Amino acid sequence: MDAAERDLFAGSVRTALERHAGAGLAAALADVGWADALDADAASAVSTLFDLQGRAGVTSPALDDVIVGALGAATGAGVVLPALGTWSPPGALSDGRVAVRGVVSAAGAGAAVVLVAVDDRRAHAVATRDLELEPIGGVDPASGLVHVRGQAAPSAAVDVDWPAAVAAGRLALAHELIGASRAMLELAREHALQRVQFGRPIAMFQAVRHRLAETLVAIEAADAVVSAAWEDPTASSAAIAKAMAGRAARTASRHCQQVLAGVGFTTEHPFEGYVRRVLVLDQLLGSTRALTAELGRAMIGERALPPLLPL
Amino acid sequence: MELGEFRRSLDGWLDGHAAALAPAYPGAGTLDQQVEQLNKVKRLAYDAGWMRWGWPERVGGLGGSTLLRAYLGEALATRDLIESGLYSLTEVLAPTMIDYARPGLAAAMVPSLLRGDETWCQGFSEPGTGSNLGSLSCRAVRAPGGWTVTGQKVWTSLAQYAQRCVLLTRTGSVESAHKGITALFVDMDAPGITVRPIGAMHGVEEFCEVFFDDVTVPEERTLGEEGQGWSVAMDILPYERSTSLWHRGAYLHRRLRELVDTAADGAIDAGALGDVTLSVYAFRARSRATQYRLDSGGHLGAETSIDKVLLASAEQALFDLALDAIPREITVSDDPWDVRWRRDYLYSRAATIYGGSAEIQRNIIARRLLDLGDDR
Repeated sequence: MDAAERDLFAGSVRTALERHAGAGLAAALADVGWADALDADAASAVSTLFDLQGRAGVTSPALDDVIVGALGAATGAGVVLPALGTWSPPGALSDGRVAVRGVVSAAGAGAAVVLVAVDDRRAHAVATRDLELEPIGGVDPASGLVHVRGQAAPSAAVDVDWPAAVAAGRLALAHELIGASRAMLELAREHALQRVQFGRPIAMFQAVRHRLAETLVAIEAADAVVSAAWEDPTASSAAIAKAMAGRAARTASRHCQQVLAGVGFTTEHPFEGYVRRVLVLDQLLGSTRALTAELGRAMIGERALPPLLPL
Repeated sequence: MELGEFRRSLDGWLDGHAAALAPAYPGAGTLDQQVEQLNKVKRLAYDAGWMRWGWPERVGGLGGSTLLRAYLGEALATRDLIESGLYSLTEVLAPTMIDYARPGLAAAMVPSLLRGDETWCQGFSEPGTGSNLGSLSCRAVRAPGGWTVTGQKVWTSLAQYAQRCVLLTRTGSVESAHKGITALFVDMDAPGITVRPIGAMHGVEEFCEVFFDDVTVPEERTLGEEGQGWSVAMDILPYERSTSLWHRGAYLHRRLRELVDTAADGAIDAGALGDVTLSVYAFRARSRATQYRLDSGGHLGAETSIDKVLLASAEQALFDLALDAIPREITVSDDPWDVRWRRDYLYSRAATIYGGSAEIQRNIIARRLLDLGDDR
């Protein structure tokens, strides 16, 4: 997409996210050409949609599409994601059955079949009705995620690329985390400019300004890493991108919460919804903490640094 | 020349001349040795053409993108051929001369800086003027044929080696603040200049006090017009926070690699290492985009404060990690390579102080990027 096409796409996605939710949103995204865009120019499509989705604090089935697309399977099916905090394939073959333990999106839970990767190279489609589904309450019931477990009869194996799917999912989630972080920063910024104490907006106090500045630094750092990852999309660059985005979200949560103070702690203010959302997004496909430690372990094991994107 | 071709040819040249380019001392070396090494590398790189790419032809350059300069400094820092902090003075002061010196002066002087025939210093800070540059008081008054300068500068890196100084002086009233500042290009051997190196925590006396006592500076050494000194200072910032930071980032990457390569099994905490690596790579990603913006002629402004905050944080985090991983080497060893870790650790404490403190950077980010209004 060129700049004008990207703006146009962003405008239609924004409208879809504002007006629709649930199954209606999936249909609206189909109408604006999300699937074609993902196919033709994943970088533009994913960065645009997930950034906006993060900012708006809404969920969509788009992550399923990204994962299924990167697996190399046909889009439109649901897909089982690894249990929160993990990134191994969520299925295992045992006695001719597929044992499943993971999560699905609300859309995935509603699909007739879901794709279950059983190792890095193979997946099976299984009937959703054969699996146990349990909506996740947790810290963010609005995430729409559903626990899925059980054993099901498999279809014929499909060749897939699970590491590629994890990498693609991590990049998408990184954009969503950054979008949510930007929304938190904007809420805190507006509050700091409007809230008056000691006769002036609290935005004039250096302690407040520096918290917001620190948040912007964290967000822009993550943004730069994610952009670099699109230039050289590898498992390593995607893991670094998601870890950085999660780190930015944690920084944004902490500083913006403090700046928003009492009102940010209430359910009358939208801020708390973002705090809840990024806690769950951080866990999907590996948390910042887990990915950071994994990165360090790999470096120590190989006595080498991750590949460097040349100038 | 395109970046890709430049990279390949330069890498080949560096490989082929590794022995000639290598420092003649182990570890950090003394400051004398570092300056000598810097000038040697610049001379060899200039004579082979590399040091001339990315600079305009009217000052002896070969033209081409600033990306070539970014890569040259990166390659030299990555191969540990230069001390990136000392190298940055070239990257910062040559553009000032090109933009503000009279054309004949720039053409005559810049090649000697690029070739390492001369060292230049930057006389900005004063005892009473740190973060608030607009308050400086080193005074230049009109004299027949030019200026007479009286006052003091401090934190002037390499002044004891320098043949020239880009000096900010007060030519208007004190109340004129940033409007009454004029930049001059001063010969350091002019009568009336006294240089006193300052002992520094990391054991390298690279910062100096410089005293000016009725120093005569000819009119043609005025950089820009009278009262334009603030613009001169502000126009240095894009270079200070683009190519120079990029080179420092390359050095940090090298040091991280050395730490991972040499630390004893079990000495490095995996989570802490991952965290530092994220910071080093995030700085690089951010700065890389900045290099491309500079190359495309984009205006670099307040957003480079983010680059500076990221680099300073990454540098301190890296050497904090080193301290945890190799504490004996840093605290009680006198082996030259360990002394170097110690020097880098201690120098990293200043990363949030020099070149605009961490607090000043956050003030800039708050006012200019977040549009939070004035803070008073």
